[in-house]
Amino acid sequence: MDSEPGDRRVSAGGTATREARDLLPLKILIAGGFGVGKTTLVAALSEVPPLSTEQQMTSLSDGVDDTSIVPEKTTTTVAMDFGRVTVDDSLVLYLFGTPGQSRFWFMWDELARGAVGAVVLVDLRRIDDSFAAIDYFENRGLPFVVALNSFPGTDGVDVDVVRDALAVPARCPIRYVDARDDASCTDVLITLVEHSLTRSA
Amino acid sequence: MTVDRRQRAHADGGRVVPNYAFTAGRTRSTAGTDMPIEALVTATDTGLAKAPGLPPESRAIVEASTVPQSLAEIGALLDVPIGVARVLVSDLAAEDHLAVHLPLVGPDGRPRRELLERLLDGLRAR
Repeated sequence: MDSEPGDRRVSAGGTATREARDLLPLKILIAGGFGVGKTTLVAALSEVPPLSTEQQMTSLSDGVDDTSIVPEKTTTTVAMDFGRVTVDDSLVLYLFGTPGQSRFWFMWDELARGAVGAVVLVDLRRIDDSFAAIDYFENRGLPFVVALNSFPGTDGVDVDVVRDALAVPARCPIRYVDARDDASCTDVLITLVEHSLTRSA
Repeated sequence: MTVDRRQRAHADGGRVVPNYAFTAGRTRSTAGTDMPIEALVTATDTGLAKAPGLPPESRAIVEASTVPQSLAEIGALLDVPIGVARVLVSDLAAEDHLAVHLPLVGPDGRPRRELLERLLDGLRAR
């Protein structure tokens, strides 16, 4: 099969695909604490109802069983909701809602690899729940934006106060979002991609 | 999002056939080790011609892939973990029943700039 430089299509045989331009997937991670609205945001943007998939992750157990000095492997099944946005005739964007528990973040390297970036959703009534995600993306150098989901009683909170409280770097955008509203969520994605472009070589 | 210990499967009545039966006990694919969760697959002409004779789960993958499907969507379709979907898709790709479309990333491991610009144009046009 003729292959242009950079063409990473894999086909063992040689059957040409019919697309005028080759299909290319992209992904954005939607992170944040439990119940912050990740699935709501995915549903607002996705052209299909959000689907759920499971990933089995193997980790060393954390010493609960201290009768043994041999580390024991445990397998955890983590469920992710995801959605799909067709961008143009060849680009398909996937949105993955990622579990927010801090003890899982070290397992997310595979998911983060190659991502456009991440949206960290914050519930202003429970901002501590978002620390782990912000810390993770900052450490991995993955572009991210912080989106403050509008809940009753959280209007008028100053963005600078949130930035200080969550130790969000100055270069990282913070926006209000209504996770139920397609246009509002699209604005957040646009902000993320613009931010990602400023950090792209 | 919570850790789901397959409660949903139990609610549906549960899976009867264990996942390892789909993959003949393999948990790793030979060719698909770097196939990410967003990788897209499309059915080839060969795959569509051979589909009626394939095992049910492979046939379901090929027939669903007349429209591009991601590895994540294949996993959801069959209600199996991503790792199982990856093994099945890798085998079908090796037999030229599926074409796999991987993300295009630059040397820094991030999406190419031109793709980000196209994504931005697409989002602004929504």
